[in-house]
Amino acid sequence: MPTWADQAKLNSTPIAWQWVCLGLIFLVSLIIPWIVSPLWIRIVTEIFMWAGLAQSWNIIGGYTGYLSFGHGAFFGMGAYVTGIAMMNLEWPFGVGLLFSGILAALLAAVIGYPTLRLRGAYFAIATWAFGEMIRQIATILDVTGGAFGMQLPPFLNLSFFYYVMLGITGLTYLTTYLLLERSRFGYKLLAIREHEEAAEMVGVDTVTIKIKAFALSAFFPGVFGGIYAYWVTYIHPDSVLGAQITDFMVVMVFLGGVGSLWGPFLGAFVVQLINRYLWLVWGEGTFYLIIIGAAICAVVLFIPNGIIGLLEKRIFSPRGALSQLRKLIKW
Amino acid sequence: MELFLQTLIDGLLIGGLIIVVGIGFSLCFGVMHIVDFAVGEWVMVGAYVSFLFVRHLGHDPMIYLPLIFFTFCACGWVIYPLIYRAVSGKRHNPVLMGLVFTFGISILAKGGALSVWGYHIQSITTWLSGKSISLGIATVPALRFSGFAFGILITILFMIFLYRTKWGIVIRATAQDRDTANLLGADVRKVGAFVYSLYAGITGMSGVLIGALFSIHAAMGAKYCTLAFFVVVLAGMGYVPGVIIAALILGLLQSFVGVYIGGRYNLVALFMVMYGVLLITPKGILRKGI
Repeated sequence: MPTWADQAKLNSTPIAWQWVCLGLIFLVSLIIPWIVSPLWIRIVTEIFMWAGLAQSWNIIGGYTGYLSFGHGAFFGMGAYVTGIAMMNLEWPFGVGLLFSGILAALLAAVIGYPTLRLRGAYFAIATWAFGEMIRQIATILDVTGGAFGMQLPPFLNLSFFYYVMLGITGLTYLTTYLLLERSRFGYKLLAIREHEEAAEMVGVDTVTIKIKAFALSAFFPGVFGGIYAYWVTYIHPDSVLGAQITDFMVVMVFLGGVGSLWGPFLGAFVVQLINRYLWLVWGEGTFYLIIIGAAICAVVLFIPNGIIGLLEKRIFSPRGALSQLRKLIKW
Repeated sequence: MELFLQTLIDGLLIGGLIIVVGIGFSLCFGVMHIVDFAVGEWVMVGAYVSFLFVRHLGHDPMIYLPLIFFTFCACGWVIYPLIYRAVSGKRHNPVLMGLVFTFGISILAKGGALSVWGYHIQSITTWLSGKSISLGIATVPALRFSGFAFGILITILFMIFLYRTKWGIVIRATAQDRDTANLLGADVRKVGAFVYSLYAGITGMSGVLIGALFSIHAAMGAKYCTLAFFVVVLAGMGYVPGVIIAALILGLLQSFVGVYIGGRYNLVALFMVMYGVLLITPKGILRKGI
């Protein structure tokens, strides 16, 4: 995780280059649906979705320093709420999305209210139990279709979902940039992460700030869940509420670089490409769980700052790589 | 009335077994300040190892209990240095790194078990399976009773070890104040390794009994993880004696919810109670947590 000194260094790098790169990436992503095959449109859409999900986990896990192991529940809840809103209440898609996002944020505030006053371990436990509970509720209720799942009205338009996903992911990153990197709110969160008692002593209302951050980080998974449900048109408890959703968010953030703006994007890109490649080569399996688990352990042990951290240390130049390797081997 | 008594006895018997899952976990948190997300996976692997022993070597699973205890102690001893590395060194938030690391271990173990054994549900039988003791008003399945007896026995031994031996004093001192214990000559790293391997051994052993009582499958870890979490939150994180009461309450809760409301609602009920406890007395029902 970058400290104050790292943060200052990052901010002083030539800004113009970053904006030019970002603009280029944005332009390329705008024309992607016209130049690649449908399979690749799907894969790129998935990458954007995971990049957004990983970033929203990063808001609470990376910037605030409280690990939520039930974040997949907000995604699944968003999927079901949008589905119910569209099927049973016959609301338009956009209203359903907004509704599921707000509902997820409200629920996060309810979960966070008692647990964010305590230490991080309580929060991790409570969110994990919450995720398990939501999965069980989805299999019990009638309105969700129980274990059989739920069929949404089919709307087969790949480019539409591509642009919606791109827009929401862009919004997620813009929110993170403006609210967490460039505002007093973000500095307060950073203070909480680095030294909570000290932050409280200088007058930061830590509990309220943390609850706000958790609600914000739950809002986006709710929206993404809704888009995902309408995109794949068929959802069931295992596909949108399975434990693997949280697992992927955690591994993406940690591999990319926890607590950084572009780390989750890099992590999502790498993990999702590997995941899809394995899927094309081996088909459906459970082997990916071993790789995720091993990747999380390896990142925590050897590169706690993720790929972003490696880039900052210039590991991809030969001299930098050698000196870093020497440091790593020293246990 | 008969149903009520039967439910009560069932709940207490299950609670006795749950103590074993919670007790090592609670001590582990007290000493290392890390929540081990792999607790359910230790139970699952313990059940699978006993299943393999029974299938390939024969005999009753109960006689493998000591062997499994020492095997899992060795596993814990091997894994601990990795956890120690994850929580020490130049990291900004060591506790969170430890949490994520154990989360990674749990995914790794679950994925390994799913890849090797698939989604099949296995079961092991012992000479006690199917027998029961009649008490007139209620019947007690012999296997459940032996699980309960085993839980109580382990708990008594554990408590004697923790409160009556020199090692126990060192462990409790480390749990109370890590730095002071270190200054007074306790090798904190060694204590951590010892506690973690003890915890792994006890939890692996509980897996044998849980596997014999219920069924064995690769995804069972999540359930026992939730139960262990519930027990430590109710008991107060890191307060070991509270685990006994909390586990019995959990057993009763599960059994009554299962009979009177429906087994499908057990996680919902567990979460509601956990949320209430965190809201009202975050230090556990005895207010002795850390």
